[in-house]
Amino acid sequence: MNDLATLKSDMEGCSRCSHCKWVPMAQIKSWRFAKICPSVDRYNFHAYSGGGKLIASNSILEGRSEVTDPVMEIVYRCQLCGACQVSCQAYRDDIDLADVLLALRAKCVTEGYVLPEHLLMIESMKKEDNTLGLLKADRGVWAKDLDLIDINTQKVEVLFHAGCRYSYDEDLRSSVRNWVRLFRNAGVDLGAAGPEESCCGGRAFEMGYQGEMKNFAEDMIGRIKASGAKLLVTPCSDCYYTFKYLYPKNGMDAGLRVLHAVEYADLLIKQGRLKLGKCASLRVTYHDPCHLGRRGEIYKMGWNGVNKLHRPVRFKQMGNLGIFDPPRNVIRSIPGLDLVEMERIREYSWCCGAGGGVLEAFPDFADWTARDRIEEARAAGAEAIVTACPWCERVFKDAIAAGGDPMKVYDVIDLITMSWGG
Amino acid sequence: MKLLPKDVYRELADALGEENISQEPAVLDGYAWQPAMNLTNQKWIPRPAAVILPATTEEVQTIVRICNQRQVKFKAHSTGWAAWGGPSQEGELQIDLRRMNRILELDEKNKFAVVEPYVCCGQLQSEAMKKGLTCHIIGAGPNTSALASATSAWGYGGTGLSTGYSGRNVLGVEWVLPDGEVLQLGSPGSHAGWFSGDGPGPGLRGIMRGFSGTQGSLGVFTKCAVKLFPWYGPPQPRVEGILLDVETDVPETEKMFFVVAPSFKKYADISYEIGNAEIAYWFCRSPLNAGVDLFMPRAGDRLFESKPLRALLKAFQHLGVALLSSPSKREVEYQEKVLRKITVEHGCILLDLSKAPGYGFWWWLMGVRSIPTALTFRAGGDFLTSYGSPVEYDNAIRQAEVAQECKQKYIDQGYFKDDMSDIGWGGIYEGTANWGHCETAAMFDRRDGQAEGRFKYLEDSARTTIEHTLGLGLSNLPPGAWKVYGPQLHNYHLWEARIKKAFDPNSVGDEQWYVPSIDEIEPKESSSDEQ
Ligand SMILES: Cc1cc2nc3c(=O)[nH]c(=O)nc-3n(C[C@H](O)[C@H](O)[C@@H](O)COP(=O)(O)OP(=O)(O)OC[C@H]3O[C@@H](n4cnc5c(N)ncnc54)[C@H](O)[C@@H]3O)c2cc1C
Ligand code: SF4
Ligand code: SF4
Repeated sequence: MNDLATLKSDMEGCSRCSHCKWVPMAQIKSWRFAKICPSVDRYNFHAYSGGGKLIASNSILEGRSEVTDPVMEIVYRCQLCGACQVSCQAYRDDIDLADVLLALRAKCVTEGYVLPEHLLMIESMKKEDNTLGLLKADRGVWAKDLDLIDINTQKVEVLFHAGCRYSYDEDLRSSVRNWVRLFRNAGVDLGAAGPEESCCGGRAFEMGYQGEMKNFAEDMIGRIKASGAKLLVTPCSDCYYTFKYLYPKNGMDAGLRVLHAVEYADLLIKQGRLKLGKCASLRVTYHDPCHLGRRGEIYKMGWNGVNKLHRPVRFKQMGNLGIFDPPRNVIRSIPGLDLVEMERIREYSWCCGAGGGVLEAFPDFADWTARDRIEEARAAGAEAIVTACPWCERVFKDAIAAGGDPMKVYDVIDLITMSWGG
Repeated sequence: MKLLPKDVYRELADALGEENISQEPAVLDGYAWQPAMNLTNQKWIPRPAAVILPATTEEVQTIVRICNQRQVKFKAHSTGWAAWGGPSQEGELQIDLRRMNRILELDEKNKFAVVEPYVCCGQLQSEAMKKGLTCHIIGAGPNTSALASATSAWGYGGTGLSTGYSGRNVLGVEWVLPDGEVLQLGSPGSHAGWFSGDGPGPGLRGIMRGFSGTQGSLGVFTKCAVKLFPWYGPPQPRVEGILLDVETDVPETEKMFFVVAPSFKKYADISYEIGNAEIAYWFCRSPLNAGVDLFMPRAGDRLFESKPLRALLKAFQHLGVALLSSPSKREVEYQEKVLRKITVEHGCILLDLSKAPGYGFWWWLMGVRSIPTALTFRAGGDFLTSYGSPVEYDNAIRQAEVAQECKQKYIDQGYFKDDMSDIGWGGIYEGTANWGHCETAAMFDRRDGQAEGRFKYLEDSARTTIEHTLGLGLSNLPPGAWKVYGPQLHNYHLWEARIKKAFDPNSVGDEQWYVPSIDEIEPKESSSDEQ
């Protein structure tokens, strides 16, 4: 956990070049899709960009300005998508933009500058162990009749963590259940915590309630250790990021391998344990979820120096080691599907709009951001946008429904299920 | 902190909408942090009193008219990368043009594009390529506004040999004058389309920008047509990776080389030859040690400590990067033959980059998209530039030589990072025109203080160019430099001051990076004449 003051040098390093507003220059392919930061693209003042938030943080730290209502809007109208960090770190070794954005939120929360919508979520997390304000007792309903091994009473090799959105969102229920069926099909015995599964805590951390994550992490790690699991599989990109990046960054070690469900599926296909069928012909494009892509990059620990100008490049979180190829491999392995790429992909992908507490506090901004992506999918010639995160799927589905758009939205598992005639 | 008078703020907010104006201190500080070219020992530049985001020429006009009526100074910027884009004193209105971001026209046949201020060169180039064209990109990089360098600020770029200089590529301008009137320069001024910068229609290019631009001191440019050039590569090249990891396929009709000369003099000679032969698309001096610092700064630190490796790098000091680009393979082969002949005749070495690993990286990043300059911030966190007068090219190269000696003293005193002193970057421009520029970068960490020593270096750099009669390194001049250099350079500032008065009668355009109105400096001029 970084205190804002410890990042002063990062803030003062900003040259105000505005690269953090654009996709990396080498990847600009058109006028239309050259922008990378939803926040500044929507609200325009420099303060909304990654670099602008760096400057605002420095200004607040130096007492030149204070957190006010308009400043809170700047802080929280940001998906924490991490795209700005990728564009900045292409050039700079001494600026960890994403750390500053997180620390700025933590400062706001510590000082009481909070949003009611976020507070609601935190209350729900504290009371019901989930981000959606629903009953803890209902958490395991999604797995009814699937006969998953109950890790609260038995040991398992592979632990399946559904995450809050998949546990409760009935619209997405078939996806999460199909993931389980898929792995079963490959002969994997999965265990799950059922109603005892709790939130990973990542959302609380991102919204600035950093201390809250610790409670969830301790709970989670305790349960994992007790289960004896060697592998944790999750279909939720947010949870994945929390396990791969936030826990280790904050000194918490779950002591097991973590894979996203698409990574695991890719692995099982490569091992010959999974065979996919054919789909009706469909032109699809893949949307890299921020938390599986650039932000899903494993936390690179081991450098403890002070002057980041001397930090070896291998310790920078540049986002290029996120999970990009496995979902594409799975899609490509299904005959009938034609995978076309959008302009902004991989570590320079445009966000879906849902992250960072934006969906909860500023749904219109989340919707605006999602529409930009849907437009990009259309420009690529896709009939469907495929993703690997229930949050992305939710916001895309809502944007499409609201706009009466013919674009379809799928999770990777939906395509696999279709390939089996499901 | 100075805010706008309440009624002025209200008037502006009513005109543009509440969401397009702000006087929130943290928002304003986003415009007061401009470390690049901030030639003061203050970390922040003056904070604007408000920032406003117009979306149309009419809105810009409204803003400027209100500023005139209420005596509020203003400063406009496009992307706003450097101190000259911000206010020079408190109480000013910052006009951020980022909502004016359209490519209005891209005329394939007549090879030009009409752009608004917030179209960055990377955007323009990607759209132009789809039509077999490309644009001039200044050395600063594709993140800068195509309009800004065309209308307001310098304009050197690595492809200058074939794509000229931004100021020369202007084919018509829409200009909101400092008094709020709209003037169209060049052919659009006579409703004849956007094909010529100097007419039919008013041709005031000299007044609009002179050689180096007025840095936002003479109103606001809202549209501009820029010349486009042939692009022989694919409409959308396959590019993977984002910077140091870039991979791509170089077309057969493009070829890249390192040209290594044994001395400053030989480097200048060979540059003239290449310019005269009209063969290269890009030819620009980039010492190898500079490349090491940009692309692998930590390895550079270690290399520079080793005497033998230092000597090896020194052997590649006079290195130019050449990109040959042509419509056919045969033509590129011809160009290569000419280049080989020239290098042999001048005792230089030619290294064929197509045989080197990562060839595509050089081609796309440097030769096509002009990306690496932002890496100059990488080694130290900041850099400044010096020398770089636009002069005949042997004098430009001589500046790098003088700079090397001058900068070394400051490296020895710890003001700059050790980069083997010569980072003389710049090319020969406009084919047979034989002029060019070569500026010397110096890298440092602003966060360590020591500003005074760096200013002293800048003073020394300007002094030495004058001593050696090499022109004046215009890119390193702080605001108010006209006071010192005007009298030494034919009192150029008096002409500018008269222009300023005529175009900006109420002195509302921030003049710090240009000159104040003649009414304000006339007394100073007579006292300096008396001395
Ligand atoms: C790191 C760095 C490297 C550079 N390298 C080069 C180089 O290699 N070659 C070169 O030629 N220049 C170089 N420059 C200077 C560069 O030309 C200018 O900074 C500018 O043109 C870059 O574009 P911009 O969009 O950032 O302009 P801005 O910073 O927005 O503006 C530059 C100046 O023009 C004024 N201006 C911009 N737009 C308007 C407008 N629409 N109306 C009125 N005034 C306006 C601003 O007030 C400011 O004074 C460099 C600058 C930096 C910071
Ligand atoms: S944060 Fe990085 S990319 Fe953004 S303006 Fe600052 S230095 Fe440039
Ligand atoms: S995290 Fe995303 S939305 Fe937030 S400032 Fe960075 S690029 Fe913009």
